[in-house]
Amino acid sequence: MTTATGLQGEGLKVLCKFFAHGACLKGDNCEFSHDWKQPANNICTFYQKGACSYGSRCRYDHVKAPRQAPVSLSPNSSFRTGHPNRTPLGKEPAATQNHLSGSASSSRSLTSVTKPVWALEAHTSSFSRNENRPHIVAVDPTEKPICSFAAAGYCPHGDKCPHIHGDLCYICGKNCLHPYRPDEREEHMRMCQQNSKHLEALRHSQEIECSVCLERVLSKPAPSERKFGLLSECDHPFCVSCIRNWRSSSPSSGMDVNSALRACPICRKLSYFVVPSVIWYSCKEEKQEIVDGYKDKLRSIDCKYFDFGNGSCPFGTSCFYKHAYRDGSLEEVVLRHLDTDDGKTMIAKDIRLSEFFSGMHL
Amino acid sequence: MQASRARLFKEYKEVQREKAADPDIQLICDDSNIFKWTALIKGPSETPYEGGVFQLAFAIPEQYPLLPPQVRFLTKIFHPNVHFKTGEICLDILKNAWSPAWTLQSVCRAIIALMAHPEPDSPLNCDSGNLLRSGDLRGYRSMARMYTKLAAMPKKG
Repeated sequence: MTTATGLQGEGLKVLCKFFAHGACLKGDNCEFSHDWKQPANNICTFYQKGACSYGSRCRYDHVKAPRQAPVSLSPNSSFRTGHPNRTPLGKEPAATQNHLSGSASSSRSLTSVTKPVWALEAHTSSFSRNENRPHIVAVDPTEKPICSFAAAGYCPHGDKCPHIHGDLCYICGKNCLHPYRPDEREEHMRMCQQNSKHLEALRHSQEIECSVCLERVLSKPAPSERKFGLLSECDHPFCVSCIRNWRSSSPSSGMDVNSALRACPICRKLSYFVVPSVIWYSCKEEKQEIVDGYKDKLRSIDCKYFDFGNGSCPFGTSCFYKHAYRDGSLEEVVLRHLDTDDGKTMIAKDIRLSEFFSGMHL
Repeated sequence: MQASRARLFKEYKEVQREKAADPDIQLICDDSNIFKWTALIKGPSETPYEGGVFQLAFAIPEQYPLLPPQVRFLTKIFHPNVHFKTGEICLDILKNAWSPAWTLQSVCRAIIALMAHPEPDSPLNCDSGNLLRSGDLRGYRSMARMYTKLAAMPKKG
């Protein structure tokens, strides 16, 4: 604790990011340190929240646990009993909140909880980071970030670089695989593989033409139209706008909706739905993947017809959108199957007593 | 409107590029109006229309290709599915079986196929239909041949 209070007296502890780049406009009024001796806080906030889209290429540190034990105002907190960097990430918010509500001044609004850890620290008391940091870095190589320049393709320092250089990823050809974080490596390889597959698919999707407008789908003038419309039952390519226009055009006299409008314009195979996609598939599995992805996305959106149980959806159980009530419970439907006169089975819905009476021919 | 224009322009370029692709069909776009086309098609061989050149007029709706083009014969033709006076054509793909994947070129091809395979059960020209339905092939052929010679062949001399 003595070191902590001593540091607190100095007031400044985290190197100012802007100063480090030679561009801090606050000068002497900056609440961060303008002293090169102070450690830079390079923690990635996105990683703290659970997901950083840069992955191992992020130029900020992806540290698993709060390595400066955020606002440990009470030294007895359970937080500090274990090895700090082995604390599960999930525990952090709760702990932080406890500290705030418990010992921080009541005037502090709860929103400050969402602030980045170093900002929090800057305003409240601070300690323990300097005492923690050097020894963690020395002990655990997984805590060390890899050189972001090397990960992005080229590091000007070469072998003299103070950071670890990642291993070479054979897919993207960059030194971005962290040598000591197997999870991250795996994740990167998976993403890289996915990316290269996507690029490949995109490349041969470029050539594909829509049979309605006769243009290359991905070269249409309006960016919003550069999308394929996949028919569920056949493999003929169209722009999503063209095929939707055709399917929603009003049938002229004598035109059968099912055999003309809902059929593929080329092979006349009946499809019940169109799936938008930015890439064209090359095999059945890829198509299935696109269709499943689309359905999953729709399933997370509340159906506007169902309207949380207030309305009724004409698509019933076939609806792609979510049928959930306000309390979050999903609609449960037990279908009633009726045998009709001609031996077929039909699904009964919305049966009214009046229909029964009108069928009695009294 | 914009979509139909773009699509017709595409078809125009395609026709220009592949002029020789189908020697039986010659599609000509009106100089000032891309929604008006004429086509010259050759009568299919081994039919009474062989040797004749038939002129078709295309009027293309603004909603094309969601709606089919309106096509009629300008050249007089004796055929059960073509109206003798107006040149109107009874063909499913020009009406309820239209699909936006059809092009003007493929419509011409369909019309040539219709000339070779008349459908006497849905006639627009009853005389011609009746001849075929009563089995008077010879009567139908000679009538069709006569009109082909009269209307669709260049006059000699």
